[in-house]
Amino acid sequence: MASSGAACFDRAIDTALALLAWLVALLVVGTIGWIVADLLRQGLPRLSWAFLVELPIDAGRSGGIRPILISTLLILGVCLAVSVPIGLATALFLAEFQRGHRGFGPLVRYSLDTLAGVPSIVFGLFGNAFFSITLGLGFSILSGGLTLACMVLPLLIRSMETALRAVPAEHRLAAAALGLPQRVSLLHIVLPAAAPGLAVGLILGIGRALAETAALLFTSGYVDRLPGSLLDSGRALSVHIFDLAMNVPGGASQAAATALVLVALVLLINGFTGWAAQRWLGSLSSAAL
Amino acid sequence: MALHPKPVPAHGARRRRRSVIPWTVAGLAVMSALGGCGRTSDLKLSLSGSSTVAPLAAEIAKRYEASHPGTRVDVQTGGSSRGIADARTGTAQIGLVSRALKPEEANLQATTIAIDGIALIVNAANPVRSLSDGQIRSIYTGSLTNWRQVGGADAAITVVTKAEGRSTLELFLEHFRLDNRRIRASVVIGDNQQGILTVAADPHALGYVSIGTASQEADAGTAIRLLPLAGIAPSLENVRSGRYPLSRPLNLVIQPPAAAGVPPFLAYASSSEVNDLVEAQFFVPPAP
Repeated sequence: MASSGAACFDRAIDTALALLAWLVALLVVGTIGWIVADLLRQGLPRLSWAFLVELPIDAGRSGGIRPILISTLLILGVCLAVSVPIGLATALFLAEFQRGHRGFGPLVRYSLDTLAGVPSIVFGLFGNAFFSITLGLGFSILSGGLTLACMVLPLLIRSMETALRAVPAEHRLAAAALGLPQRVSLLHIVLPAAAPGLAVGLILGIGRALAETAALLFTSGYVDRLPGSLLDSGRALSVHIFDLAMNVPGGASQAAATALVLVALVLLINGFTGWAAQRWLGSLSSAAL
Repeated sequence: MALHPKPVPAHGARRRRRSVIPWTVAGLAVMSALGGCGRTSDLKLSLSGSSTVAPLAAEIAKRYEASHPGTRVDVQTGGSSRGIADARTGTAQIGLVSRALKPEEANLQATTIAIDGIALIVNAANPVRSLSDGQIRSIYTGSLTNWRQVGGADAAITVVTKAEGRSTLELFLEHFRLDNRRIRASVVIGDNQQGILTVAADPHALGYVSIGTASQEADAGTAIRLLPLAGIAPSLENVRSGRYPLSRPLNLVIQPPAAAGVPPFLAYASSSEVNDLVEAQFFVPPAP
């Protein structure tokens, strides 16, 4: 019977495709597992509380990473302090006032998407030329943070815009029907309702910022001293990992331990951001009453 | 506009509304307080350039800062060309350059703080006493594969090379005018210690490692022998004098006249007070 043969064939194809999908998914999980296992195997024996609070010794082969950790947090702080307000404002502008396919909005989106595709080394060279030399900030945490802010802004704005657009129009209509001014509806309804989506954007931005090496090598620099101010040069975790792995013979295990700290830091910040967004979303209920 | 009945997001437990912003601000304040133990310094030296020299320069800088309170030495990287450019433009007072100056750079002044040299090593049991540059090139590109072809025992050569990104590999490739993609290696190693262990354990291995480490190990009785290159013995004296071909000076470069505070640092960085730091980075200290 031809029809049963065809059905059999279709079933076989379906099963094969399902198997393939499983295999690919396993491959992805396996890759991540391998990376983490490799880092743990090499880095875990070196990891301790002392590693976090000591100064690096012998070009980072021994000692810890305290100044590097602090520099990284300061660079990230500068980056977020600049990029989040600008990013959120632009995303609000695009999502609430430029919803159409004409006018200024598409131009802004087009330039953002172009910027998002620019390699980070280009941002590094720009940051070095503009912040470090033209503005005279030199190699400093401030230059590094501002360069990172330029780099993460496109990513931040586009994902925040998507989050704001995902808030159902009914929310806005209901607020308008109650005669609430737009700022109240934005601040107390749209933003909290979009909080989980905004947090995803923020997490992507933080991830990209913490992973950045090339741009920081030319802006925040290589100095592994404890920074005295934002105008001091400070080495980021990613730069430290790169240096230990490529320039310091015998630095591989310390590089793995530092990478573990970086991964833990990203997870910690992601967790905190998600928690904060949930709390903000929770505030909807009390605000609505 | 289509009116889909969309579920309202689930609300969390009813708490008093509290913004996350104060928390974030508090976090930033704590961070800056941790970082902001303000220190004043009278003199700031800036160094920039070769990534090979940078870790050593940073170690010397730390020791210099400790013994000269009020001086701050910042080290940045970016490559030897950048070291030359920054010293010329004054972006940095001192450039880090991992090679000898070229004739067109004669207007700059170089101070050698260390020498990076490479020794070809074989197992101590290997009867081969020397290899020509051509033979080494052929072995590393895979056209010579047996020790018999170069006067040794009838055994396959175990070719040991370095992993990508090591300055030793860079120098080796440059000297023998080899392309890393053409190298046919049996073993790829990471650091010097691993290279020495590999060659000491395999009677048919040929490898190359930092000359400082290799001579220390050979003197300490490890089963390796350093091969002469182009007839020149791989002794530390020959490396220091620049006669040994497979080596390069690591230089601090300035554009004269030297800025205030620079000459004492140059003198310190090339003095015997930092020999242990030079050796810890697997380089050879320059002649006193």
